[in-house]
Amino acid sequence: MEKKKYTRRDFINSGARISAAVAIGGLAALTLRNFQTEEMVWQIDPFKCTQCGRCASNCVLPISAVKCVHAYDLCGYCDLCGGYFKPGVKDLHTGAENQLCPTAAIERKYIEEPYFEYIIKEDLCIGCGKCVAGCTSFGNGSLHLQIRHDECDNCNECAIARVCPSDAIKRVPASTPYIIKGDFIAEDKGKWENKA
Amino acid sequence: MNIKKKNLEDKTSTKKFIGKTPPLGGWGVVLIVLIALLVWYFASDPTQKFTSSDPGMDNRGKGNLITEIINIGEHFQLFKEDKESKLDESWPRFRGPNFDNISSSKIKLANSFSNGAGDILWSHELGEGHAGPAIYEGKIYLLNYDEELRADMLHCYDLVTGEELWRRWYNVAIKRNHGMSRTVPAVNEDFILSMGPRCHVMCLNRESGDFLWGIDLEKEYETETPLWYTGQCPLIDNNTAIIAPGGKALMIAVDCKTGDKLWEVPNPDGWKMSHSSILPYTFNGQRMYVYCSIGGIIAVSPDGELLWKTSDWDTNVIAPSALCMPDGKIFLTAGYGAGSMVLQLSETNGSYSTKILQEYKPKDGLACEQQTPIYWEGHLFGIMPKDGGLNRNKFVCVNPNDCTNILWTSDKESRFGLGPYIWADGKFYLLNDDGTLHIIEASTKGYKHLDSKVIIEDGHDAWAPLALANGYLVLRDADKMVCINIKR
Repeated sequence: MEKKKYTRRDFINSGARISAAVAIGGLAALTLRNFQTEEMVWQIDPFKCTQCGRCASNCVLPISAVKCVHAYDLCGYCDLCGGYFKPGVKDLHTGAENQLCPTAAIERKYIEEPYFEYIIKEDLCIGCGKCVAGCTSFGNGSLHLQIRHDECDNCNECAIARVCPSDAIKRVPASTPYIIKGDFIAEDKGKWENKA
Repeated sequence: MNIKKKNLEDKTSTKKFIGKTPPLGGWGVVLIVLIALLVWYFASDPTQKFTSSDPGMDNRGKGNLITEIINIGEHFQLFKEDKESKLDESWPRFRGPNFDNISSSKIKLANSFSNGAGDILWSHELGEGHAGPAIYEGKIYLLNYDEELRADMLHCYDLVTGEELWRRWYNVAIKRNHGMSRTVPAVNEDFILSMGPRCHVMCLNRESGDFLWGIDLEKEYETETPLWYTGQCPLIDNNTAIIAPGGKALMIAVDCKTGDKLWEVPNPDGWKMSHSSILPYTFNGQRMYVYCSIGGIIAVSPDGELLWKTSDWDTNVIAPSALCMPDGKIFLTAGYGAGSMVLQLSETNGSYSTKILQEYKPKDGLACEQQTPIYWEGHLFGIMPKDGGLNRNKFVCVNPNDCTNILWTSDKESRFGLGPYIWADGKFYLLNDDGTLHIIEASTKGYKHLDSKVIIEDGHDAWAPLALANGYLVLRDADKMVCINIKR
């Protein structure tokens, strides 16, 4: 029996079939991979953040998606709060001249002697981080900045991540979109995420 | 046909009328628009959605309206009969025997933590706080806040064994506020003087622990207890208790034996008590008690004369005390963004005046938030605060002639917290917030780290001043006091 000659045409046909198979397989694998890979979102690592203020000015949104959040379990509930009061104020009252926040986005509420609670009004917060710097320098660091995902456009290349001097902004899985200081998030994670 | 033509003419005339709007009508429209704009301008208020931030919006309460009955020194418990100690050294007060945080002991101390140096000899659980111990010839005195009994409790321990010899206490309600206790008692041969978190002064017989007298400064002097409670460590000088209450008196002197008031310096400007402590200082042969209150700094002679005062140094929270140097320079520093100031004290014919030599923010030079720096060999040594810029939390050295010129700093990795440090046997012993003790070679030339050891496992907020006597170093974090032997 004469052996069939492997022609150039056969070679091209085989090559085309193999290429097609590889392409289809690759495409399927890529699709499967994309299907399986979790969506990622931008977030600030509060332990790296240096409160430089660029989050307020570099976000593409008219008002930055970066907001101050408060880890209440870390807070000292101090009368003299470094995140609320400007340095050097004499009388610890709520007058505008005393407040560090340029938009009065922190509400101070008396609880009982000697404790005060500090609540962030996110609709007023512009993410400047001044309160975070004050809290970090003089307090327990319970105030920190986070990108709020109900506001963030999740740009392909985050404008504030580009200019962050401490590389504090990174991609995190969308299923755990916040990096919150303190332990309360671990217990109360569901509630927190629902607020977003 | 004619009718059609007329209609056309009518239409033409209508077109003409529309095309040529009478001039008066055009101005009318403009006028109406202008009037509308004016009405809008005067009627609308662009600030109508603004809300003002006024004092009192936090609904601050009026403090504790219930008058608590406090009987200072009412309880006593003896655990063990006193026996003569062979130890002869003392660390009898805040900043030690010479008010400088420098040990004058000749005992050689460890350069490293090898061979068991730094091993814990004994420890005691304490109420949350930052009160430091005083040591007098083999005995330790500590004003603790006992959270279970809700009491200011003065403990007397044996330095070597840690055994409790006796305790005296009185009930007073204190809530957690970054710790509760935070003062060091003053001790001499005969007396122990303590000041509790809510300004209760107590004087005891040192040997027996017998109660001699007490003063409730809030009641007697209308003292406003500082934020985070009393930080002023009381002073005994020549068997006289020296206290700075604020309120009705800037400074008072009380006979330790009788409790009689010897003098009071009035407080016309209403300056308040700070966390700072009174330190004695002798300038041009004149002894004086220097104190940084909230409002200004004062100096009072031992017979109660106000020698000088200035409001140049006035910040809302002051923990470090005034560091007075031999040439009349006074280094003042505070946290919370205040920074530092150097005053020059001068005297002419018994009249004193001060002049500001340096004043700067914490990022620009030596500043300290909690501990008072150490003055040694003409230089100042301290730990920078967290808002100290590039040098934040570093241990630094400056010449007081220019405190903005940092001569050396600890390494980039060697950053510390609010913990205490002392000079002893040519070394700095520096305790970090987490209970790690560092040994640093004392030098004005550079930083040289010798060794480190975690003394208190999982320690936190280890801010209380250290006490050292006979080679025994007593230190604490927020919850625990330990004693280690650092003899070489």
